[in-house]
Amino acid sequence: MKAGLQKVLSMALATGMVMGLASVPALADDASGDYDLTLYSIQTTDPDFQDWLDNVESGTGLKINVIAAPTDSDTRQQKITTMLSTGDTSVDIIEINDEMSTAFKNSGWLEGLNDTVMTDDVRSKFAQGYVDQMITNADGQVIGVPSYTGYLAFWVNQQIMDEVGIESIDTKDDFVKYMEAVSGDGRFGYGGSWEKTYVFNEIAQFVNMFGGDYYDWTNPHNKEAMEFLHDMVQKGYTSLDQLPDKYEQMNPKANDGKYGCWFMWGTGTDYDKAGMLGDDKIHMAMVPCFAEDGSRSVFTDSWSYVLNAASEHKDAAYKFLQYMTGKDGMEASFKYFDRYPARADLAEEIVPDDNPVKAMYARYASECKVQGRPMLPQTMEFISAMGTIFQSYMRDEITIDDFLTQAQGYVEEYQ
Amino acid sequence: MYKSKSKAMLLLPWLLVLPVVILRAFTTVYPIITTVTDSFFDIRLLAGKNEFCGFSNYVKMFRDPKVLISISFTVIFVLVSMFFHLLLGVLLALALNMKFKGQRFLRTIVLIPWAMPSVVAGMAAKWAFNNDYGLINDLIRRIIPSFNYNWLIYRGSARAAVIAVDLWKDLPFFAILVLSNLQFISSDIYEAAKVDGASTWQSFTQITLPLIAKGVATLCIPFTLWRLTSFDLVYSMTSGGPGEDTALIAYRITTEAFTNLNIGYASAMAVVLFLIMLAFSLLNMKLTNSKKFET
Repeated sequence: MKAGLQKVLSMALATGMVMGLASVPALADDASGDYDLTLYSIQTTDPDFQDWLDNVESGTGLKINVIAAPTDSDTRQQKITTMLSTGDTSVDIIEINDEMSTAFKNSGWLEGLNDTVMTDDVRSKFAQGYVDQMITNADGQVIGVPSYTGYLAFWVNQQIMDEVGIESIDTKDDFVKYMEAVSGDGRFGYGGSWEKTYVFNEIAQFVNMFGGDYYDWTNPHNKEAMEFLHDMVQKGYTSLDQLPDKYEQMNPKANDGKYGCWFMWGTGTDYDKAGMLGDDKIHMAMVPCFAEDGSRSVFTDSWSYVLNAASEHKDAAYKFLQYMTGKDGMEASFKYFDRYPARADLAEEIVPDDNPVKAMYARYASECKVQGRPMLPQTMEFISAMGTIFQSYMRDEITIDDFLTQAQGYVEEYQ
Repeated sequence: MYKSKSKAMLLLPWLLVLPVVILRAFTTVYPIITTVTDSFFDIRLLAGKNEFCGFSNYVKMFRDPKVLISISFTVIFVLVSMFFHLLLGVLLALALNMKFKGQRFLRTIVLIPWAMPSVVAGMAAKWAFNNDYGLINDLIRRIIPSFNYNWLIYRGSARAAVIAVDLWKDLPFFAILVLSNLQFISSDIYEAAKVDGASTWQSFTQITLPLIAKGVATLCIPFTLWRLTSFDLVYSMTSGGPGEDTALIAYRITTEAFTNLNIGYASAMAVVLFLIMLAFSLLNMKLTNSKKFET
């Protein structure tokens, strides 16, 4: 009886396994047959993502399969790198940032779009400096469609400014006066994200503000900028506590009134969520002028939609990308994700005039020297190496001369 | 007839395990061979390089300050963490072996940190050690209100924090495994020792320790190897910072391989780590099989 039962059970198990195996191809066929293309997106955690997707699907007539990219930047970059470098065909369109586009644009992993999407007339509508520096490869092929325009904006806490009686931070002297007035009792004039892979934004920003050159560390203005940041730490104007901070640590501190001013990407979503965004609270301001020649500098960035060269759904992908370069695509991004349109002509049409970002972005575009961030082909190695020596210098483990020598060495090594 | 049947019976087990052997060869032996081969090539995907370079990756590794820092912290991490695993793990196991009300509940909840994914523990720890919002400083400030210290910005404290979180997470599991060893010791032995006039300390040193020594030493093999290959905790907690001070060697390998895409260089580091782990395992197995541990 027992042996009989065992036999029946074994037979049932074996049958189940065979049936299970047999059904696998059928399932796979169903899954791939349902969609025209697969998008690897960083926006899936946005509450309006489904509305955006519905808009794009109805606008393009495509059925889009979405895979959520990891929210952690390191993990995301590693996954995307692995997918592209192995010729993975499961993903067609990927959203990548400037770091990744600099690293991948000459690798052959991304499809050139000059003849299909970023044709001369379309390309001319985007910020030319950004397109040339960040998303054009060595063969002159544009490899991405910028999904928005962003600036590394200067943010101030108006409540703190009112408290210390300073109306504007326009020059280096204003900035220093503001630092002196604000700092103390656990509050700092300036705040930042100084984690080693984040801090390069601020290093480069200060180098630019002083009129230096991030690729030339023999430039005396670079030294001046670094010593200025070091002095800010020494004088208690900014805190070494921010050394491990990424944006998710910095923004709560900004919301809590621990910082008088800082540089930050985006349109202030985190401040808005905390009820701290507004002219009388936290808002964008014009970048102060530190340079002797009176120029102001600001960085621009974007995330771009790129096409995996190994994609098996290129026609659908072109359709998606073409939609993203047009008014409907940009309007959808602005409406659902608060992403400021990458095309200036469309921004004028899409963004309402009473939007505070519009006014400040227009001023940045007209009054500042707008540049893409300084990156080298070995992007992450370069960024991480610079961040590491910056942290060492701020902690007084190395001197300014050591820092400058090593920084120049990295520029040459990763060129 | 009998002979041929027995030959077939001899072959049958091999035939049955063949699929597993093939699968294992494909998932383990093949990657090892590829890694060793790649370690002799200068493979940099972003630079489009793939050239034979002999031992230069190995030479470069021992001259690279970042790797040397990683090696030194890995050694510290393994030694300190395993020392406290042994010390506190045995103490915790002894405590859990005592008879008291709620013992079973305590044994269960003590495993919660171990059940937590390392990445989650690391991310939580990053906040916990934050000077402004962290749990650790909040607790300290209840005793010393003026206390201000950011654990993750100095080499020593950041390394201590990483080791502390590693212990918090894995020590309970180690203790539970030691506890299972303790439960194999018959209470008759303790009673006999008590009749002979042995003190509690003597019972511990003369009975408990010798009887669990082999089991604990065996446990040390996987726990040490896990420390040597640990990367997820540092990845989520410190990203190897400040600077490169908490970058364990496994984290360095991952960064070189998957962020910097220096496959050849990462492979060379992986080969060295593999050899260290192999040597350690052989040494440990030899020790645990030696007569010293026979009871």
